[in-house]
Amino acid sequence: MITGQAIFIGFFGMAAVWFGIVVFRTFSMVRSAIALLFSQTALGAMFLTMQAEFLGVLQIMMMATEMSIMAIFMVMFMMDPGGMGKMDMTHQKRLSLIAGFVAFVGAVAVAVFIDWGPVTETIADTAQQTEALGLELLGRSMLIFETAGVTILTAMIAATAVAIKPVPIKIKTKDEK
Amino acid sequence: MGVELIWSLITGAALFGVGIYGALSQTNLVMIMMGVELILAGALLNLVAFWRYLHPDVAAGQMFVLIVMTVMALEMAVGFGIAIARFRSKGSVEMEEAVELKK
Amino acid sequence: MTTLLVLLLLAIGVYLLAVLENWIANGRFQLTAPAYSAIALLGRESVIPRKPDLLFFEVGPVLLLIAALLAAAVIPLSPDLIIADLATGALFLNAALAYILVALIMAGWGPNGAYAMIGGWRFLGQLVAYAMLIVMPITAVAMRAESLVTTDIVFSQAGLWNIVYQPLGFALFFIAAMGLAFLPPFDLPTAKGELAGGVEAEYSGVRLAIFRLGRMVLIITLAGATATFYLGGWQGPLLPDWIWSAIKIMLVTAAMLMVGKYVPRIRETHLLAWCWKFGIPLALLNIFIVGILIVVIP
Repeated sequence: MITGQAIFIGFFGMAAVWFGIVVFRTFSMVRSAIALLFSQTALGAMFLTMQAEFLGVLQIMMMATEMSIMAIFMVMFMMDPGGMGKMDMTHQKRLSLIAGFVAFVGAVAVAVFIDWGPVTETIADTAQQTEALGLELLGRSMLIFETAGVTILTAMIAATAVAIKPVPIKIKTKDEK
Repeated sequence: MGVELIWSLITGAALFGVGIYGALSQTNLVMIMMGVELILAGALLNLVAFWRYLHPDVAAGQMFVLIVMTVMALEMAVGFGIAIARFRSKGSVEMEEAVELKK
Repeated sequence: MTTLLVLLLLAIGVYLLAVLENWIANGRFQLTAPAYSAIALLGRESVIPRKPDLLFFEVGPVLLLIAALLAAAVIPLSPDLIIADLATGALFLNAALAYILVALIMAGWGPNGAYAMIGGWRFLGQLVAYAMLIVMPITAVAMRAESLVTTDIVFSQAGLWNIVYQPLGFALFFIAAMGLAFLPPFDLPTAKGELAGGVEAEYSGVRLAIFRLGRMVLIITLAGATATFYLGGWQGPLLPDWIWSAIKIMLVTAAMLMVGKYVPRIRETHLLAWCWKFGIPLALLNIFIVGILIVVIP
């Protein structure tokens, strides 16, 4: 049975995959980053279709900033960010294509052939969902959530420590006098 | 059988496959990170679909999604830290030019 | 029906904002000036620069307008006068406003011009400064209302407006909202003096009209958000509720424009340093104080 929900999931899903393919097919690096952004946004729209409103809105919000920052790093680090020179930036193409295709087919096979059991049609409304999520975060799963927070802090410190400009230390040797 | 679940899982598989292709075929560190982002996006979609269609009454499923989103942000932060350090010392973040890391 | 009514009110608000901006910036009160300049813009040629990223060039201004309109959809003018009363309204506002950045980056990259591109990337730096100061005060507001629904947030201020309850949060949100709407003194992406218009520089004609319209809608939306979160939304004596919303929104807009008139443009490095070194600790302090206040005086 094809429901309205299924149609929207199919539509946004195809949009997400198409934008995902565009990421690696365009020569312009900024376009590539923005395509990834719209792929993630389509994913957020899929979450909204699945009535996971909080997660969908969160996904749409987080990815906008994340991918914009990605875009500026692309412009900083690439030789040809505008894609005017049509540079080929790939290697081991055949191997990658095969690996990607095998991964896809394997995952699809798992998705199709496993019996997932009964599927729930109805779901609690968003306000209740959000409340339950909040109680979960600050109740049973608090330790995991705290761990995530500490991990973010660690990553922030680590990334800053790696990226910071090393201050040259002058050590006076004997023959420098 | 819920066709929505299957379609979501197939979309997730496609994103995963495209991500694998990108992560393996690109020569630039930032583009490889984009591939990894796509792989994680596929995982994210699967998690939401499992939560929605199989266990909608367990809020821990949503929390799992939040953790994966955190991982995506962390991957970006640490990856860009490494990219900046590499760019500062060598002037490029191309993978082909980083073979000396193997030796 | 409600949607059309809200959009009509929004259009009136945008027009009044244009009159107000002209009045404050140039000291001339002309009710017809925005209409004339709009007609002039629509009549002019819309120049396309050489070798543009045409997709970005076209999409940028439109995305700015769409993002601002989406953000406006969760601002309540009265309990019924709201386009979408979402269960995650306050979060949705943030999500829609995040696309302002994407629109400006696209509009900056698209035309293949140096000033426009610098303007676009500058706004990315500005985002790093203001983003936390938008989200954290909203967190404190949602804490008091115990809800992310924008109408519930207004109802929670029935006894005491949030501007009195959490003045620190109001000050931070007000400044961050000005940064988000790139109003002077935070008009780094479109700096008239140093970047010759920045992101706007390469746009002309119809596209410039859409860009300006989007920005006006954005300013009105942010003023609406300030009124909703801190000034008690539609609440007020005697007058009907939507008039109170309109009065508050216009007052906030006027305040934003007046501040910009008397303060010199800030440097990007200073903006980042102040926002991160003072703004974020203050925002955390605000959340802490509100947390205690909720326990002491519910």
